[in-house]
Amino acid sequence: MNTGIPAIVFIAVLGLLGAGLYALLISRHLIKVVVALQILVKGAMLGLVLAGRASGQIETGQALALTVIVADTIVAVVGLALAVQIRRHFNTLDITKLTTLRR
Amino acid sequence: MASTLVLLAIGLPWLGALLVWAVRDQRPALQHALAVGFSLAAGVAALLLIPQAGTATVVDLPVGGSFGNFTFVADGLGVFLTAVATVVGSLAVIFSVDYMHGSEQLGRYYALVLFFIGAMVGLVLTSNMLLMFAFWEITALCSYALISFYNDDPKAVAGGIKALIITQFGGVGLLFGAVLLYAYTGSYDIHQFLQNPAAMPGNILGLMAFGFLAAAAAKSAQFPFQTWLPDAMEAPSPISALIHAATMVNAGVYLLARFYPAFSPVPGWTTAVMVVGMLSALMAAVMALVASDLKRTLAYSTVSQLGYMVYAVGAGGIFASQFHLFSHSIFKALLFLAAGAVIHGVGTRDMHQMGGLGKHMPLVRTVFVIGALALAGIPVLNGFWSKELVLEAGEHGGPMWIWAVMVFVAGLTALYTFRMVWMVFFGQMRGKLHVHDAGKAMKTAMVPLALASLVSWLLAGPFSAMLERTLPAHALHALSTGEMMMEVISNPFTLVALAAVVLGLAAWWWREKLAGLAQALQGLGRAAQNSFGLEDINRGIVRGTQQGAEALRVTQTGLLNWNVVGILIGLAVILVILVMGA
Amino acid sequence: MPASALTWLIALPLAVSPLVYLLGRLSVLKGALVNSARWLALLFLLACGVPLFQAGQAYLATLQPIDWTVGMVTMRLDGISLLLAATVWVVGTLVVFYSWRYMEHETGEEKYYALLIIMMGSMIGLGCARDIFNMWVWYEAMAISSFMLVCFYRQQPSALEAGFKYLVQSAVGSVLILLGIILVFAETGATDLVLIAEMAKFASPVPMLAAGALFIIGFGVKAALVPLHTWLPDAHSQAPSGISAMLSGVVIETALVAILRTTGMLSSISMTWGVLLLGFGAVNMLLGNLMALRQTQVKRLLAFSSLAHVGYMLIGFGVALAFQQASSAAGGFFHLITHALMKSLAFLCAGALMYYLYQARGSHRPLMVDDLAGVSKRYPLVALAFSIAVLGLGGLPPLAGFMSKWQIFVGGAQTQNPWVILLVVFAGLNSVLSLGYYAPLVNRMYRLKPAQVVESGVKPSWQLELPLVIMAAAVVVLGFMPHLMSWLTGPAAASLLASIAR
Repeated sequence: MNTGIPAIVFIAVLGLLGAGLYALLISRHLIKVVVALQILVKGAMLGLVLAGRASGQIETGQALALTVIVADTIVAVVGLALAVQIRRHFNTLDITKLTTLRR
Repeated sequence: MASTLVLLAIGLPWLGALLVWAVRDQRPALQHALAVGFSLAAGVAALLLIPQAGTATVVDLPVGGSFGNFTFVADGLGVFLTAVATVVGSLAVIFSVDYMHGSEQLGRYYALVLFFIGAMVGLVLTSNMLLMFAFWEITALCSYALISFYNDDPKAVAGGIKALIITQFGGVGLLFGAVLLYAYTGSYDIHQFLQNPAAMPGNILGLMAFGFLAAAAAKSAQFPFQTWLPDAMEAPSPISALIHAATMVNAGVYLLARFYPAFSPVPGWTTAVMVVGMLSALMAAVMALVASDLKRTLAYSTVSQLGYMVYAVGAGGIFASQFHLFSHSIFKALLFLAAGAVIHGVGTRDMHQMGGLGKHMPLVRTVFVIGALALAGIPVLNGFWSKELVLEAGEHGGPMWIWAVMVFVAGLTALYTFRMVWMVFFGQMRGKLHVHDAGKAMKTAMVPLALASLVSWLLAGPFSAMLERTLPAHALHALSTGEMMMEVISNPFTLVALAAVVLGLAAWWWREKLAGLAQALQGLGRAAQNSFGLEDINRGIVRGTQQGAEALRVTQTGLLNWNVVGILIGLAVILVILVMGA
Repeated sequence: MPASALTWLIALPLAVSPLVYLLGRLSVLKGALVNSARWLALLFLLACGVPLFQAGQAYLATLQPIDWTVGMVTMRLDGISLLLAATVWVVGTLVVFYSWRYMEHETGEEKYYALLIIMMGSMIGLGCARDIFNMWVWYEAMAISSFMLVCFYRQQPSALEAGFKYLVQSAVGSVLILLGIILVFAETGATDLVLIAEMAKFASPVPMLAAGALFIIGFGVKAALVPLHTWLPDAHSQAPSGISAMLSGVVIETALVAILRTTGMLSSISMTWGVLLLGFGAVNMLLGNLMALRQTQVKRLLAFSSLAHVGYMLIGFGVALAFQQASSAAGGFFHLITHALMKSLAFLCAGALMYYLYQARGSHRPLMVDDLAGVSKRYPLVALAFSIAVLGLGGLPPLAGFMSKWQIFVGGAQTQNPWVILLVVFAGLNSVLSLGYYAPLVNRMYRLKPAQVVESGVKPSWQLELPLVIMAAAVVVLGFMPHLMSWLTGPAAASLLASIAR
């Protein structure tokens, strides 16, 4: 078995998670926020597969990852739908303008 | 029999509350009748309960778990306060028939009054700490709701909320003591605890004792919590008479007296109780001296008299404190009702505008003067005997300097009482007031109280015998009325106290000649009008909390990025704690 | 037989939800006057009561958890699931009935009911999940349905804003949960809660500790732990009132149950979980109360007060986890029930007033505190129910909130630990602070001089007020007879302790 692959995958997981979180913290664009969420979840999915391999239950890991894809897609769709509606009502996709609810 | 009566004394007013509320405000006559009927019925039940007083648990509703069993014991202390609460309660309700005539939202008024009476009865009869706390809070809830009865008046709303918050703040001390009691003994039963207070570890008992003292001070408007009571005077006058003179404010004294056997060995506790009583008595008497609002003057005087009772408990005079409580509930309820009649008759509470009202309302003047003489401690009214007993208990059980202060306060009491009576009923009217005399229901309520102020002290013998018989943990010894009289009369210190009263009287009589002294004490007067800075501390705390809360609102930025940062901060904090803990 | 009742309990809501949507849609297309989704939703929910009752009876008879296995996944009904399911069912059914009138002017009623049923079903499922990944799936289902319900008023910009923030924060939380699952799965190779709990003792502690932290924070977003709470006031105030009631009354509590399940599973790793919950509890109470103190919108005020109440529950559960204190756990669960009743009642009352004053005229303005002035005259029942709700929330007897808080406090004192006792006193002081914003609400309602909007409000409707009366009565009765819920809270506390006693 090639032990090199998990190490690379592990780094990829961390990279995706880091990139996703960073993007979430700095993006001001609604669509970019949704994309950042997607990057985060992709990292988690990869992590699931990796965890399956590490514990010797590859099939389970993959099955779980597939389930995550479904749930995550729905979230993305709802998020984007909301973004469309927000564009329609606020006339902007800038989240710094989305502050009618505060204090 | 006793169990039925206990349940009736609590249940009848509560049932009445439901019915009064249910008949809706379209039928005021029925509401008045229902309220009077149910409160009188409760009063009868309470009076019938007096001969049944005993030490046995008469009602035991099993609830279990961490709620304990809901138990009630009709012992002397409880039965006595039950009678006070229901009898004064029914008189206040009768008085309300005139006083609240034509008011809107009568249903809410009467429902709350009746709910209060039932809760007060429950508070003094229960022997379960959880229930006691629950009833304690219910009385606070009713008091708040009734102070704010005139919700459109911002002063009434503020007064009600202030009363609620301050008494609840002190109530945390009671909560604290109650949960500690359960945590260390596994039971809520008060009587079990009183028989064996050693079941609690010493330091925990000390915490509990001071927690209860805080609760009692908040409820009885004692130092440093007394500021809520004067503001509570926005309530309708019958409420002031019932809740803020005769019953609820006594709950603190009741609490201290009830737990005295358990807490008296706690180092420093009795001294703390006496000092709290003394400070309240002294400060409030000075404030009463400079107040110009009739009801506020009475409120200060209530604080001051409650100070006497608290002082008596601290000095070990349980009977003296309860006897003074008894006298005070009668004459102070009378004074408040009479003041209510005056205010109802002239439409203002400012004493500077009154004067010479005695001509227009002779009966009110007569009963007010009787109440005032009792308050001032003039023989042979009930206030005289009980105040002398309190002072005597203090002389035996406490340091002399506190006793001296209390004697001085007795003089002040006489002084402010005569000032008040003079300003309201005698001399010339200063304002342009249209006066109308009190109604029939008002008079019906006041006359029995006036008669009782004259003769209630004759009950000292049976009262003390009942307390001795039913309070084994308190180790009281009974006095017959004759013995009590002899004890008071033969004590040389009685003369000292009487001299103080006479001096107070004289000070009022020669007030013109003492103008120079009054000038010199102006600074003190001004400090008294500002409640000696306590009011500022109150306001400061409220303002600080409000400003802090307002400042905190910036944390809700509404910016999505910051919201995500919050999540990450939370995660980071937890990880750090785990790393440090591991 | 018990297993089949459990099957029905979990499957029924999921199965009927599309049906409600389709038939409701059909009746809209046919132009029916009354959307049939309403009737169907209520009928199906009442039908759900049957398996709930059967499963509950079977469980309570033996107090042995009921398992139901489909393929790889096992569902388990124990005391905690039963308590959660019962609370969700009661509050949800009342909300559906309430929504008949409340939502009648809205388009897309069928969507509303279908989503509401899905949300309830996924909460019941989450309570019954015995598999950690399965729990995540239920959690996502609950989250997604609640996003859509929060922005149900999609013509309202603020509702969209609240929904989007809610979605993002919730999604971040769910990724954190996934990461926790990954760590546990990689370490033990299992996803079954019971199995993991047994294997955790032999696993290396660092990843398991990290997983625990991730679970607390991940589910904590939904449970509104401070500082993860920022979505809550927005979402709770912008959602339709029935949904606010569900969110505040049961959704955040469901997330708390998830936290309890996961930390219970990892209890052999560390004893710190309980202490962490206590810390969050203290912060939640203080911040929630202070933030609520200066709010001017009624629903936002109530939303912030939910933070404080999560704090009380956390103290009950934290003590239970840290000191294995059954009475404290029972107190936490009792407060879960009473808070569900009182807070839903408060939101439904606020909603009823919004309906009378604004919505019936087609306006979606928020209900301000000032609008409450004098409502008691025109809407005495709502005013009374609202007073009962907020005074109960403030912990005044003889209302249910007093008793449940009391049970939590006693449980804390029973540890005889000075820090916990100090925390109990702090909680008591917080309760007093909370009266600083509850009591003025009550005062306002009983003013004689009504606000202008109140004078122009529409006539009260019995359909809105019947659920209020039922809930208010329950709050009062539980205040007088707190032991009425012991049959539910006792087994739940026992289940919680059984999950951590190893």
